[in-house]
Amino acid sequence: MAKGILDGIRVCDMTLAAVGPWATMLLASMGADVIKIEAPGMGDISRFVPPMVNKMSVLYIACNMNKRGVTLDLKHPRERDIAYKIAEKSDIFIENMRSGTADRMGFSYEQLSKLNPRIIYASANAWGSTGPMGPISGADPSVQAFSGWASITGAPGGKPEMYRYVAHIDLTTSSYFVAAVLQALIEREKTGKGMKVDVTMLGSALNLQTSRVAEFFATGKTPPRLGSATAATVPHQAFLCQEGQWIAVGVVTDDQWQRLCKAIEAPALASDERFSTNPGRVQNRDELIPRLEKIFITKPVRWWEIKLDAAGVPNGRFYDFHNLRYHPHVAANGQIFDLDAGSYGHVNMGGLPWNFSKSATRSDRNPVPGEHTQQVLQELGLAPAQPGSRPG
Amino acid sequence: MGALDGVRVIEIGEGICAPYCGQLCADAGAEVLKVEPSRGDWARQMGPPFVNGESPVFLCLNRNKKSVVLNLETGEGREALKKLVKDADVVIEDLAPGFAEDNGIGYDALRQINDKLIYLGISPYGEKGPYARKPATELTIQAMSEYTASLGVIGEPPVRLGTDVADTNTAVFGFQGILSAYFHRLRTGEGQKVAVNMFGSLLSMRGTLWSAQSDGIESWYGFHCDSYVKPPDHGYQTGTLPVYFTLRRGNEEAYSTVLIEFEMFDAINDPRFGEGGRDATGTGRLAHEVKPIWEAGFASKTADEVCEIINRNDGEAVPITDYEYLFAHPQTEAIDIVRQVDHPKAGKFRVLRTPWKFSEVPEGKYEPPPALGQHTEEVLRKAGLSAQEISRLSPARKG
Repeated sequence: MAKGILDGIRVCDMTLAAVGPWATMLLASMGADVIKIEAPGMGDISRFVPPMVNKMSVLYIACNMNKRGVTLDLKHPRERDIAYKIAEKSDIFIENMRSGTADRMGFSYEQLSKLNPRIIYASANAWGSTGPMGPISGADPSVQAFSGWASITGAPGGKPEMYRYVAHIDLTTSSYFVAAVLQALIEREKTGKGMKVDVTMLGSALNLQTSRVAEFFATGKTPPRLGSATAATVPHQAFLCQEGQWIAVGVVTDDQWQRLCKAIEAPALASDERFSTNPGRVQNRDELIPRLEKIFITKPVRWWEIKLDAAGVPNGRFYDFHNLRYHPHVAANGQIFDLDAGSYGHVNMGGLPWNFSKSATRSDRNPVPGEHTQQVLQELGLAPAQPGSRPG
Repeated sequence: MGALDGVRVIEIGEGICAPYCGQLCADAGAEVLKVEPSRGDWARQMGPPFVNGESPVFLCLNRNKKSVVLNLETGEGREALKKLVKDADVVIEDLAPGFAEDNGIGYDALRQINDKLIYLGISPYGEKGPYARKPATELTIQAMSEYTASLGVIGEPPVRLGTDVADTNTAVFGFQGILSAYFHRLRTGEGQKVAVNMFGSLLSMRGTLWSAQSDGIESWYGFHCDSYVKPPDHGYQTGTLPVYFTLRRGNEEAYSTVLIEFEMFDAINDPRFGEGGRDATGTGRLAHEVKPIWEAGFASKTADEVCEIINRNDGEAVPITDYEYLFAHPQTEAIDIVRQVDHPKAGKFRVLRTPWKFSEVPEGKYEPPPALGQHTEEVLRKAGLSAQEISRLSPARKG
């Protein structure tokens, strides 16, 4: 049977909430043995963020697939020693607490690399360790706000708009975090040495905006908010159709533009020199767009969908979850699937983002908190607990 | 110096997604050969604005690469590509979905030439199912993946994320794919194909919202589900920029201080503001209703002053910045993320470094993006093509 890419790699996972756990979930999906350490009692705060299913939050279920769950009270010396033992036998130690917290808890890079010189010590925090905001905690919405991303989103002529789904920046950070850890693993393969890896939510949010920040770097001005439209390619926006539904159209090359004009039977537009290049279409968008609007409103979405598909012009509908959950394409590609979360029931889950031709990936349920404490202790060769006492 | 030091990547793709993935590889030390059609990567035409004829978007996505013009619609172009693949480690392919397979330059064909090859295939929707050959752009993917449902007002024109999330997040997943396949190859000697797609990337990242709509969920309330129906969130207006804020509940003294400092004296006895502001702030039930009262309290202060008061009193507040404010702010300075590139035509321009720092790996270089076809001759010569063969490949005009 095929192995995962990270088969044989162990992760000592002290992450919480979403940024860290989703990253370690992706590592576990690639086959790493991720040991999630939680404090007794409340443990990872994500457990209590509604909505819940069978008394567990769906957020915890989604962010902790594939992991083993260990409960340890790190204020208790013997249990802290167990955590050190896990770190010593791990390839990666990973945390996403506020800057300085891991150090204060006794889990600094200096300490862990003494125990294990090959350890990759990976930290993510919101704003970085220095600067006026270093000490402030941060979550997805505050990083959205501060990173400029709301300023480039919103109705034309309207105010900057925050994204109401407050996980995209978290999971973007997780994604860059995974890429950073993979680079460290490669380096270690070549040099035999571990290292410290640092990622911030702010740096990740900015990198996500690379293609938009570019315009600011060129002009000194934040690009304008354009509703569904796109600053640097035209036409690339939603058009209202006859039945009051919208179609999304994306033309980014001059070939696509000519094919669009043919598909919507607009030869005058096709031969208008002002519109024959992208820069021309961008420059003259105020003349061009109203003419396209007048055409699209004359027929329903389905009419244009057939025409544009036949012409190879990118287009799409404004789907909702109801359209997506059992869509044949989504099902064929496993992009939304049903996770059997054991005692917590069945939960819809987003699919993994990659498909490997040789290596296996996994999408198994999250642990019940502390489910694997005894198992891990036994593997480490530590005495099992007396009945009724900590840990486990 | 970097994880991909000594690795040769052939990048075949235009726009934002494949080029950003190629740039991440280049920043990690790879030699990146950017294969462009004779009209050039369409991102070279993204604008206005242009800087001395160069597109700023193109400039920010294509540093540290070599440009090789090949017409992959012709047999000769594809044969030349195969010669390059022979000595390459990685191919990033983001051509029209199905094109590579149909024309003998997909993974199955290329692995015959180089069995250790790592092939990253990027497609709009994924390789199976009814949309496997449907083309897409950033907006059409945002629309199809329900991304626009967290913006705007139901019944009004759709609003997209201004950030190019479908392109950029997919590029990062692609980079993860390359890195992990390379790690696997270091351990086993095996190459393989990795497939990522824009639609799947966004569906994956919106996953906690799918989970929130599972059968058996106890209520619609939750920090995800009501996002569909809430009005647009513009933050709280102040005398200057709007702000985002939350208050940590449980500290009654801090909460009273906040209300007093903003001179919101009526709020102190207003039951809507009770219980440490649970209902009156953040995602609270009444937050929308009492927002004008907060905004009246903030109106005479700047965003920085409002944030200072809240942060000092057990809360978390930041301005909702624009790029002018953000790139002048000391925190942006502190994370040291802006670098400079010097381009022969566009002059000096700013770029963002990648968001990671490694204790043992120095940062890479910042060479300017190449002119169209700048390295065609040099690269094809090294790959063993004769001068005659090279000139047969190039059209009469250069790009």
